[in-house]
Amino acid sequence: MLLFRSEETVTQWCEARSVPKRPIINLEQLWHLSVTWYENRLTVDSRRPAPDEMVAIFARIGLTGPFWDPKADQWS
Amino acid sequence: MEFDTAVKLNIYETIAETTKAPTSAEVARALDASVEEVEAAFARLHKKRLLVPEPGNPSHIRMAPPFAGIETAFLVKVRDKSYYANCAWDALGISAALHDDTVVAASDGYSGEPIILEVKNGSPVPQECAIHFAVPAARWWDDIIYT
Repeated sequence: MLLFRSEETVTQWCEARSVPKRPIINLEQLWHLSVTWYENRLTVDSRRPAPDEMVAIFARIGLTGPFWDPKADQWS
Repeated sequence: MEFDTAVKLNIYETIAETTKAPTSAEVARALDASVEEVEAAFARLHKKRLLVPEPGNPSHIRMAPPFAGIETAFLVKVRDKSYYANCAWDALGISAALHDDTVVAASDGYSGEPIILEVKNGSPVPQECAIHFAVPAARWWDDIIYT
């Protein structure tokens, strides 16, 4: 994943590399992911979310479909 | 406490305190263990996706997410310390992990134009930006360094 100033520079980056433009999230969505993933990382019980938990976390901020499913074998 | 948990905590506590990832020898000294035992724990933590040893050098840590073990394009300032993060997600993740406000010096992935992200009073300061995921979730750990 890469950070860009705007969707315009995402488009330029994709065109320069001849790669498809894929999902883009905003700062609020990113913050939700950062907190969910890492707020307990320095504790004894910390762990990475399991695949089904990841699907639920992504869905809470509107990220659904096979692209966001860590168990998917197809995506668009 | 399980040995792997002790290794994990030592790594994260060391980075939080010093801003630098410890080597396997440093963790071994801290835990009164052998380097071989610690590097085996590094490998098990990698399988749990909590750690990425440096490719080709299992004594060094490339990533202890959200922290980076090397210098990156994401410099995260927390009070009087500066950390490196692996990506924008992890840059804000350092703020979340340390439960403190941060200023992140980053740049546009295409133009290189500087982008400053800030977490203030526990929330990100509004800032126009776009975070693009080129790799689907199912493939993130195929090559997490690229992802």
